[in-house]
Amino acid sequence: MEALQTNQLTKTYGKKTVVDSVDLHIPQGSIFGFLGKNGAGKSTLINMVTGLIKPSSGSFEVLGQSGNRLESLQKEIGVLPDYSTFYDDLTAFSHLNYFQKLLKQSLSRQDIHRVLTRVGLEDAVHVKVKKFSFGMKKKLGIAQSIIHQPKLLFLDEPTSGVDANAVLNIHSLIKEIAAQGTTVFLTSHNLNEVEKLCDEIAIMNKGSIQTQGTMKQLREQYQQAIIVHIHHRSLSEKEQTQLKNSLKDLAADTQIAENTSEITVQANELIPQVNKKFVQQDIGVFRLEVEEPSLEEIFLNLE
Amino acid sequence: MLTVGFREFKSLFSSIRSIVIIVVLFGVTIGSARLVRQFEAPLQELGLGNDAYAMGLMLLLILAAPLFVTSLSHNIVNKEMDTRTIRFLATKTSRSNIILGKFIGSFLFWAVCITVALLLIIPFSKSFSIVNLVQSIIFVSYFVGLTLFLSTIIPKPSLSMFLGIIISIALPVLGLWSAGTDNLFIKAVGYVTPYFYYMQEESNNYYAYFVAFFPILFILLSVFIFRKRDL
Ligand SMILES: Nc1ncnc2c1ncn2[C@@H]1O[C@H](COP(=O)(O)OP(=O)(O)OP(=O)(O)O)[C@@H](O)[C@H]1O
Ligand SMILES: [Mg+2]
Repeated sequence: MEALQTNQLTKTYGKKTVVDSVDLHIPQGSIFGFLGKNGAGKSTLINMVTGLIKPSSGSFEVLGQSGNRLESLQKEIGVLPDYSTFYDDLTAFSHLNYFQKLLKQSLSRQDIHRVLTRVGLEDAVHVKVKKFSFGMKKKLGIAQSIIHQPKLLFLDEPTSGVDANAVLNIHSLIKEIAAQGTTVFLTSHNLNEVEKLCDEIAIMNKGSIQTQGTMKQLREQYQQAIIVHIHHRSLSEKEQTQLKNSLKDLAADTQIAENTSEITVQANELIPQVNKKFVQQDIGVFRLEVEEPSLEEIFLNLE
Repeated sequence: MLTVGFREFKSLFSSIRSIVIIVVLFGVTIGSARLVRQFEAPLQELGLGNDAYAMGLMLLLILAAPLFVTSLSHNIVNKEMDTRTIRFLATKTSRSNIILGKFIGSFLFWAVCITVALLLIIPFSKSFSIVNLVQSIIFVSYFVGLTLFLSTIIPKPSLSMFLGIIISIALPVLGLWSAGTDNLFIKAVGYVTPYFYYMQEESNNYYAYFVAFFPILFILLSVFIFRKRDL
């Protein structure tokens, strides 16, 4: 059973197709990262599969159940929507108390305090939300999405607008929740965060899924060239020319200098061969670093 | 459903507007009760007797209930759609529960207000009529249902306020007018206002209970529409 599966899921507003025939499969027990530029359709897709907006066509299944029966699954699903406000006249505590009753949970006062402490709102438990900052509201949003320990958690930009410490806290919270077996589906514009947290990533562009896979798969798919940095013993001018000539057939580009060289190759398999050339010419290698493209580079090179 | 209803009920009591309305309702009730007392003798002769006090409240409700209910409850659903707090509710409970809960909360608020108003005039009327209470509550529930419906179909609170006020002035006018006209259109409109049913000259006026079907209809329509809505 998959945590989420969409079949040709589509949303149109007027003539504009915002989510276009998306087929997405998300395995259970993973942290799934969802990337895409502003307006790509990420939030629209999340809002459809969490029942907030109705698909124009297509279907989806959540935790093995048809999307039409989402209301019977509400206890299993947690949602932090992309945009929402709270009730100004209620405190953080009253919000969670109200929400947990809606979910037919029976949390004690201590349980609610614990959740608020976990998201870093321990000093604002009985403060009315109208006095909250943007980041505090975000934390309350995260708190309300996890009070019932859902099996599937949707977090639409959980770390946008919160301070650096809070970001780290949210990261550890997400990892903790995932370790307990919850599938986490998150969107973010912070690519380092996604690279660090997520087991699998999908990139959405103009309403379609452009690519999906683990970080390793994405690298292999989108890496145009691999740059190998080699630190070696000092080379004379003559040795440098010799080395350059010997690498001509292997490397797309070579930058040979006295103590370090940069060799650009097209495939991972070529790296041992590069190393072999150094050995053959009796050039001692101290260190060999392979520069991997970051998610950011992959993302920026797409399209 | 009850959770949503209870929260709605509580928040209705805690707003400034509701306090003003409660004060007006009770003030006018007591004021008119005093007024009725001054004309007790002629009213007795007319056979209205002690009912006159309750009739006073009824008259106030008939004319002002639409406005009161509209001004307090016109944004009962669409305010939460506007601020999107509805998203927190809709991911935690069913959409029909939200609508039913909203109705229950608002309905209870008015039921309590009317009951208290009728209790307040006991010292003047020296009587308490359950029939009057039930009929008044049914009357108000018509408008509770109507505002719920308007608030569901109109996404903007400012627009539902505007339309609500127009409707709450037009309905009593059309409703009362329909009683004394042969114009078919006005008569037809009269059938969908509660006024037609409340003006039947039956003893005990069983027609008034028929009005209770309207709020049920409004709730069903609201649920039907709300379930298809993008939130
Ligand atoms: N109610 C609506 N009516 C019309 N167009 C809409 C509506 N909601 C969203 N859109 C459009 O759909 C597109 C996708 O929006 P969406 O919020 O899903 O993007 P996103 O990928 O979440 O972007 P961001 O990174 O900025 O959060 C946008 O072009 C937006 O203008
Ligand atoms: Mg978004």
